[in-house]
Amino acid sequence: MNDMRLIDRAVDMKDIKFSARNVQVYYGTTHAIKDVNVDIADKTVTAFIGPSGCGKSTFLRSLNRMNDTIDICRVEGDILLDGEDIYDKRVDPVQLRAKVGMVFQKPNPFPKSIYDNIAYGPRIHGLAKNKTDLDEIVESSLKRAALWNEVKDRLDAPGTGLSGGQQQRLCIARAVATQPEVLLMDEPCSALDPIATAQVEELIDELRSNFSVVIVTHSMQQAARVSQKTAFFHLGNLVEYGETGQIFTNPVDPRTESYISGRIG
Amino acid sequence: MSDQHILSAYDRDLEAIQALVMKMGGLVEAAILDGAQSLETRDVELAAKVRANDKAIDELELRINEEAARCIALRAPVSKDLRTVLTTLKLAGSLERIGDYAKNMAKRTNVLVEMREIPGPDASLRRMAREVEGMLRNVLDAYIQRDAKLAEQVREHDHDVDQMYNAMFREFLTFMMEDPRNITACMHLHFIAKNIERMGDLVTNMAEQVIYLVTGELPEDSRPKADSTSYISKVD
Repeated sequence: MNDMRLIDRAVDMKDIKFSARNVQVYYGTTHAIKDVNVDIADKTVTAFIGPSGCGKSTFLRSLNRMNDTIDICRVEGDILLDGEDIYDKRVDPVQLRAKVGMVFQKPNPFPKSIYDNIAYGPRIHGLAKNKTDLDEIVESSLKRAALWNEVKDRLDAPGTGLSGGQQQRLCIARAVATQPEVLLMDEPCSALDPIATAQVEELIDELRSNFSVVIVTHSMQQAARVSQKTAFFHLGNLVEYGETGQIFTNPVDPRTESYISGRIG
Repeated sequence: MSDQHILSAYDRDLEAIQALVMKMGGLVEAAILDGAQSLETRDVELAAKVRANDKAIDELELRINEEAARCIALRAPVSKDLRTVLTTLKLAGSLERIGDYAKNMAKRTNVLVEMREIPGPDASLRRMAREVEGMLRNVLDAYIQRDAKLAEQVREHDHDVDQMYNAMFREFLTFMMEDPRNITACMHLHFIAKNIERMGDLVTNMAEQVIYLVTGELPEDSRPKADSTSYISKVD
């Protein structure tokens, strides 16, 4: 039976982008992530949910080595991106982060023009041969982030002058400008109103055709709306990982059930 | 005012559920017509087909229930989106029941093949079935076009089906009194007539659901019931 819905929601686990094996993360003596094994599919939106302090952000940050900046943080186990260990000594974290982009909770545009916000990454990574190239990258990135029409006449205006929702889309445009393969988003909508949130969610759904997107969110409804796969973290453990529809209609683990139905915090 | 959600996947979900209902409706329409034809022409093969197709109808109902549950869980629909999902569930339930009645009509075809012929009722039953199928078609149109007026017309139309059933009820009583050897066949035929009349009632319920979907309120006035056979004690 031909079914639009299932085609739309179909999860194709054949292409695995990230593969985490026995991952442990410690902050000093605190064991923040306990033996997490997970395969994150390509061209799929994967949501991490769980109560505060459950380790979802920590795990997300370990996917592009953002935890390297924290001295007391230690990561064990293997995290493979396309089969290659990202914690290998030969991997340059800067190059890795060009491949694995990140969008944060609060929009954090550079105190530069809208144009320069987008152009910064491609410039330092040498992705543009000349000005025309760069113009093109800026335009296509802003279009992808559904912001082009709103800012095309004022690319020289400061990025910080945009509204919150526009700033967040600017940060997403900035993240996609380096042509990453994976986009990590840590609560990208928590500072946005419902309309801007819906716009960002629509954007995430569109980005899925090109990237693998991993999103951490406190809003279970957001996870339900935008993701195809959902992982539930609790006390540093990955409790359950599965197709989003299954997680929200018939979770296997009683802890998942309790959390998503609002019975434990 | 836009009819579309910012999150376009939401629209695709809702459209897909409605497409499933329309598909189910199409199968049920075919079941009614084929069931009635198998009866009139005593076509055992066609009857077998109707019975086999009922499985597809039942499966679609399960699918719709599942998709609607997913939609409620994942999208938390409100307002007219919520009514769309709730209505979808109810319509699927009614369609499944109508499908069962059509299957029952086909089942009795097999029995009636073995019996002496009663002149008249077959054509009337088919007419009645066509009437109900037409109502169903209109109610599905009303659903997809959000046309409360059309739904209201369907609701009023049920009167005609009830009248047809009343007439047949009396007819069967007459046949049975004329010759007790007609009783078995007439009992079967009467059940078929009653089932078609019930289909009409279910279609009417569907029409009321569509009115709820469009306006947010169920029609308050009780529908004029024209099935008076509950009060018949003897044939005049």
